[in-house]
Amino acid sequence: MTKEQLLEKLTAIVKPYVQNEEGFKNLNEETDFINDLEINSANLVDIILDVEDEFDIEIDNDSMENMLTVKATIQIIQNKMNA
Amino acid sequence: MLNIGNDIIDLQLAKTESDWQRIGFLEKQFTEKEQKEIYNSENPFLKVWLFWSMKEAAYKCYTQKVKKRFFAPQKFECLLTKEDEGVVTFQNTNFYTTTFFDASYIHTIAEDKLIKGGHKIRVFLGVGSPNNLDKDITKRLQENTGILSSEIEKRKIQIGVPQFYHHHKFLTNSCSISHHGNYGAYAFIINGN
Repeated sequence: MTKEQLLEKLTAIVKPYVQNEEGFKNLNEETDFINDLEINSANLVDIILDVEDEFDIEIDNDSMENMLTVKATIQIIQNKMNA
Repeated sequence: MLNIGNDIIDLQLAKTESDWQRIGFLEKQFTEKEQKEIYNSENPFLKVWLFWSMKEAAYKCYTQKVKKRFFAPQKFECLLTKEDEGVVTFQNTNFYTTTFFDASYIHTIAEDKLIKGGHKIRVFLGVGSPNNLDKDITKRLQENTGILSSEIEKRKIQIGVPQFYHHHKFLTNSCSISHHGNYGAYAFIINGN
Protein backbone atom coordinates (compact mmCIF):
# COMPACT_ATOMS: atom_id res chain seq x y z
CA MET A 1 0.00 0.00 0.00
CA THR A 2 1.41 3.42 -0.90
CA LYS A 3 1.54 6.23 1.62
CA GLU A 4 -1.13 8.08 -0.39
CA GLN A 5 -3.51 5.11 -0.19
CA LEU A 6 -2.81 4.83 3.52
CA LEU A 7 -3.50 8.52 4.06
CA GLU A 8 -6.74 8.20 2.12
CA LYS A 9 -7.93 5.32 4.28
CA LEU A 10 -6.91 7.10 7.47
CA THR A 11 -8.75 10.25 6.37
CA ALA A 12 -11.94 8.22 5.93
CA ILE A 13 -11.48 6.70 9.39
CA VAL A 14 -11.08 10.01 11.25
CA LYS A 15 -13.84 11.84 9.35
CA PRO A 16 -16.79 10.87 11.62
CA TYR A 17 -14.95 12.09 14.73
CA VAL A 18 -13.81 15.47 13.42
CA GLN A 19 -15.12 18.59 15.22
CA ASN A 20 -13.16 21.15 13.24
CA GLU A 21 -14.10 21.02 9.55
CA GLU A 22 -11.54 23.67 8.62
CA GLY A 23 -8.79 21.51 10.07
CA PHE A 24 -10.18 18.49 8.22
CA LYS A 25 -10.14 20.32 4.88
CA ASN A 26 -6.45 21.04 5.41
CA LEU A 27 -5.61 17.54 6.63
CA ASN A 28 -1.99 16.61 5.97
CA GLU A 29 0.79 14.63 7.60
CA GLU A 30 1.37 17.30 10.21
CA THR A 31 -2.27 17.36 11.33
CA ASP A 32 -2.77 16.81 15.06
CA PHE A 33 -5.97 14.93 15.92
CA ILE A 34 -6.73 16.92 19.05
CA ASN A 35 -5.28 20.37 18.34
CA ASP A 36 -6.22 20.64 14.66
CA LEU A 37 -9.28 18.42 14.28
CA GLU A 38 -10.56 18.90 17.84
CA ILE A 39 -11.29 15.22 18.11
CA ASN A 40 -12.48 14.25 21.56
CA SER A 41 -9.82 12.20 23.34
CA ALA A 42 -12.32 9.41 24.07
CA ASN A 43 -12.83 9.13 20.32
CA LEU A 44 -9.10 8.61 19.84
CA VAL A 45 -9.73 5.12 21.15
CA ASP A 46 -12.34 4.62 18.41
CA ILE A 47 -9.83 5.74 15.80
CA ILE A 48 -7.28 3.27 17.13
CA LEU A 49 -9.86 0.45 17.04
CA ASP A 50 -10.95 1.46 13.53
CA VAL A 51 -7.32 1.48 12.35
CA GLU A 52 -6.82 -2.00 13.81
CA ASP A 53 -9.90 -3.29 11.96
CA GLU A 54 -9.14 -1.58 8.67
CA PHE A 55 -5.50 -2.65 8.42
CA ASP A 56 -5.83 -5.91 10.35
CA ILE A 57 -3.08 -4.99 12.80
CA GLU A 58 -2.80 -4.79 16.56
CA ILE A 59 -1.71 -1.53 18.11
CA ASP A 60 0.07 -2.09 21.41
CA ASN A 61 0.02 0.44 24.24
CA ASP A 62 3.48 1.82 23.50
CA SER A 63 2.55 2.60 19.90
CA MET A 64 -0.77 4.04 20.97
CA GLU A 65 1.03 6.58 23.15
CA ASN A 66 2.28 8.43 20.07
CA MET A 67 -0.89 8.33 18.01
CA LEU A 68 -1.66 12.04 18.26
CA THR A 69 -0.81 13.03 14.70
CA VAL A 70 -1.46 11.76 11.18
CA LYS A 71 2.27 11.36 10.64
CA ALA A 72 2.83 9.20 13.74
CA THR A 73 -0.22 7.09 12.93
CA ILE A 74 0.92 6.40 9.36
CA GLN A 75 4.33 5.43 10.66
CA ILE A 76 2.82 3.02 13.19
CA ILE A 77 0.56 1.42 10.58
CA GLN A 78 3.50 0.99 8.19
CA ASN A 79 5.67 -0.55 10.90
CA LYS A 80 2.96 -2.99 11.95
CA MET A 81 2.10 -3.98 8.39
CA ASN A 82 5.74 -4.63 7.56
CA ALA A 83 6.37 -6.57 10.74
CA MET B 1 4.48 23.74 42.53
CA LEU B 2 0.93 22.65 42.73
CA ASN B 3 -0.81 21.87 39.46
CA ILE B 4 -4.46 21.39 38.70
CA GLY B 5 -6.23 19.64 35.83
CA ASN B 6 -9.89 19.25 35.04
CA ASP B 7 -12.20 17.39 32.71
CA ILE B 8 -15.87 17.71 31.90
CA ILE B 9 -18.11 15.07 30.32
CA ASP B 10 -21.45 15.96 28.77
CA LEU B 11 -23.28 12.74 29.61
CA GLN B 12 -25.87 13.09 26.86
CA LEU B 13 -23.12 13.52 24.27
CA ALA B 14 -21.08 10.68 25.75
CA LYS B 15 -24.06 8.43 25.17
CA THR B 16 -24.24 9.18 21.47
CA GLU B 17 -20.61 9.95 20.69
CA SER B 18 -19.00 6.84 22.14
CA ASP B 19 -20.11 3.25 22.52
CA TRP B 20 -18.37 2.04 25.65
CA GLN B 21 -19.60 -1.49 24.90
CA ARG B 22 -17.72 -1.58 21.62
CA ILE B 23 -15.30 -4.53 21.59
CA GLY B 24 -11.87 -3.32 22.65
CA PHE B 25 -13.03 0.07 23.89
CA LEU B 26 -12.59 -0.67 27.60
CA GLU B 27 -9.52 -2.87 27.12
CA LYS B 28 -7.58 -0.09 25.42
CA GLN B 29 -8.02 2.48 28.14
CA PHE B 30 -8.84 0.80 31.43
CA THR B 31 -6.81 -1.59 33.56
CA GLU B 32 -8.24 -5.03 34.28
CA LYS B 33 -9.13 -3.92 37.77
CA GLU B 34 -11.00 -0.88 36.46
CA GLN B 35 -12.81 -3.00 33.89
CA LYS B 36 -13.99 -5.35 36.62
CA GLU B 37 -15.21 -2.43 38.67
CA ILE B 38 -17.09 -1.08 35.66
CA TYR B 39 -18.80 -4.38 34.93
CA ASN B 40 -19.71 -4.90 38.58
CA SER B 41 -21.09 -1.41 38.92
CA GLU B 42 -24.79 -0.64 39.17
CA ASN B 43 -24.33 1.95 36.47
CA PRO B 44 -21.46 0.86 34.21
CA PHE B 45 -21.96 3.79 31.83
CA LEU B 46 -21.49 6.33 34.61
CA LYS B 47 -18.48 4.46 35.99
CA VAL B 48 -16.80 4.46 32.56
CA TRP B 49 -17.08 8.22 32.31
CA LEU B 50 -16.19 8.83 35.94
CA PHE B 51 -12.93 6.89 35.48
CA TRP B 52 -12.33 8.52 32.13
CA SER B 53 -12.73 12.04 33.56
CA MET B 54 -10.40 11.14 36.45
CA LYS B 55 -7.74 9.92 34.01
CA GLU B 56 -8.12 12.98 31.79
CA ALA B 57 -7.98 15.43 34.69
CA ALA B 58 -4.85 13.71 36.05
CA TYR B 59 -3.25 13.70 32.59
CA LYS B 60 -3.94 17.42 32.19
CA CYS B 61 -2.40 18.07 35.58
CA TYR B 62 0.67 16.00 34.71
CA THR B 63 1.31 17.52 31.26
CA GLN B 64 1.54 21.00 32.76
CA LYS B 65 4.59 19.82 34.62
CA VAL B 66 6.31 17.68 31.98
CA LYS B 67 5.16 19.75 28.99
CA LYS B 68 4.76 16.85 26.62
CA ARG B 69 1.71 15.18 25.17
CA PHE B 70 0.95 11.49 24.78
CA PHE B 71 -2.01 9.12 24.83
CA ALA B 72 -1.78 6.44 27.50
CA PRO B 73 -5.09 6.32 29.37
CA GLN B 74 -4.47 2.80 30.68
CA LYS B 75 -1.35 3.92 32.53
CA PHE B 76 -3.36 6.29 34.70
CA GLU B 77 -4.93 3.96 37.22
CA CYS B 78 -7.98 5.10 39.16
CA LEU B 79 -8.78 4.22 42.72
CA LEU B 80 -11.93 5.56 44.32
CA THR B 81 -11.60 6.40 47.99
CA LYS B 82 -15.12 7.80 48.24
CA GLU B 83 -17.97 8.04 45.78
CA ASP B 84 -16.67 11.39 44.57
CA GLU B 85 -13.00 11.30 45.59
CA GLY B 86 -10.12 9.25 44.35
CA VAL B 87 -6.45 8.86 43.53
CA VAL B 88 -5.07 8.40 40.04
CA THR B 89 -1.60 6.89 39.90
CA PHE B 90 0.75 7.36 36.98
CA GLN B 91 4.34 6.15 37.23
CA ASN B 92 4.48 6.46 41.01
CA THR B 93 2.93 9.90 41.00
CA ASN B 94 -0.42 10.37 42.68
CA PHE B 95 -3.10 12.76 41.58
CA TYR B 96 -5.95 13.49 43.95
CA THR B 97 -9.34 13.83 42.32
CA THR B 98 -12.70 15.26 43.26
CA THR B 99 -15.72 14.75 41.03
CA PHE B 100 -18.90 16.80 40.85
CA PHE B 101 -21.92 14.87 39.59
CA ASP B 102 -24.80 16.58 37.88
CA ALA B 103 -27.74 14.93 36.10
CA SER B 104 -26.26 16.01 32.78
CA TYR B 105 -22.49 16.22 33.35
CA ILE B 106 -19.52 14.94 35.32
CA HIS B 107 -16.77 17.39 36.29
CA THR B 108 -13.52 16.09 37.78
CA ILE B 109 -10.54 18.04 39.04
CA ALA B 110 -7.15 16.55 39.81
CA GLU B 111 -4.34 18.02 41.90
CA ASP B 112 -0.82 16.68 42.22
CA LYS B 113 -0.57 17.49 45.92
CA LEU B 114 -3.06 17.18 48.68
CA ILE B 115 -4.05 20.68 49.65
CA LYS B 116 -3.83 21.03 53.38
CA GLY B 117 -4.69 23.97 55.53
CA GLY B 118 -1.99 26.60 55.71
CA HIS B 119 -1.19 26.55 51.99
CA LYS B 120 -1.51 30.04 50.64
CA ILE B 121 -3.29 29.05 47.50
CA ARG B 122 -6.80 29.45 46.28
CA VAL B 123 -8.54 27.07 43.90
CA PHE B 124 -11.31 28.24 41.59
CA LEU B 125 -13.65 25.99 39.64
CA GLY B 126 -16.57 26.55 37.36
CA VAL B 127 -18.88 24.97 34.82
CA GLY B 128 -20.72 26.93 32.14
CA SER B 129 -21.19 27.29 28.44
CA PRO B 130 -18.20 26.23 26.29
CA ASN B 131 -18.27 29.57 24.45
CA ASN B 132 -17.94 31.73 27.56
CA LEU B 133 -15.05 29.97 29.27
CA ASP B 134 -12.45 32.71 28.80
CA LYS B 135 -14.89 35.40 29.86
CA ASP B 136 -15.89 33.42 32.94
CA ILE B 137 -12.26 32.98 33.94
CA THR B 138 -11.24 36.61 33.43
CA LYS B 139 -14.30 37.72 35.38
CA ARG B 140 -13.35 35.42 38.24
CA LEU B 141 -9.80 36.75 38.11
CA GLN B 142 -11.01 40.35 38.21
CA GLU B 143 -13.12 39.61 41.27
CA ASN B 144 -10.20 38.03 43.06
CA THR B 145 -7.19 40.09 41.98
CA GLY B 146 -8.77 43.48 41.42
CA ILE B 147 -7.28 43.60 37.92
CA LEU B 148 -9.71 44.69 35.21
CA SER B 149 -10.82 41.73 33.11
CA SER B 150 -10.23 43.78 29.94
CA GLU B 151 -6.55 43.96 30.87
CA ILE B 152 -6.23 40.22 31.38
CA GLU B 153 -4.81 38.34 28.46
CA LYS B 154 -4.93 34.63 27.75
CA ARG B 155 -1.82 33.00 26.33
CA LYS B 156 -1.20 29.41 25.45
CA ILE B 157 2.07 27.78 26.24
CA GLN B 158 3.50 25.11 23.95
CA ILE B 159 1.37 22.12 24.79
CA GLY B 160 -1.86 24.07 24.69
CA VAL B 161 -2.14 24.79 28.40
CA PRO B 162 -3.61 28.27 28.91
CA GLN B 163 -2.25 30.88 31.29
CA PHE B 164 -3.78 34.23 32.06
CA TYR B 165 -1.52 37.26 32.17
CA HIS B 166 -1.66 40.87 33.23
CA HIS B 167 1.13 42.50 31.22
CA HIS B 168 4.14 40.34 32.04
CA LYS B 169 2.86 38.86 35.20
CA PHE B 170 1.00 35.58 35.12
CA LEU B 171 -2.07 35.44 37.28
CA THR B 172 -2.95 31.77 37.19
CA ASN B 173 -0.32 29.52 38.73
CA SER B 174 -1.95 26.55 37.11
CA CYS B 175 -4.95 26.54 34.81
CA SER B 176 -6.92 23.89 33.00
CA ILE B 177 -9.88 24.23 30.67
CA SER B 178 -12.09 21.54 29.28
CA HIS B 179 -15.10 21.45 27.01
CA HIS B 180 -17.46 18.77 25.86
CA GLY B 181 -20.83 19.17 24.18
CA ASN B 182 -22.92 21.80 25.92
CA TYR B 183 -20.45 22.37 28.73
CA GLY B 184 -17.24 24.21 29.37
CA ALA B 185 -15.33 23.92 32.63
CA TYR B 186 -12.25 25.40 34.23
CA ALA B 187 -10.02 25.00 37.24
CA PHE B 188 -7.23 27.36 38.21
CA ILE B 189 -5.02 28.24 41.12
CA ILE B 190 -3.93 31.61 42.44
CA ASN B 191 -0.98 31.70 44.79
CA GLY B 192 -0.61 34.11 47.66
CA ASN B 193 -3.13 35.67 49.92
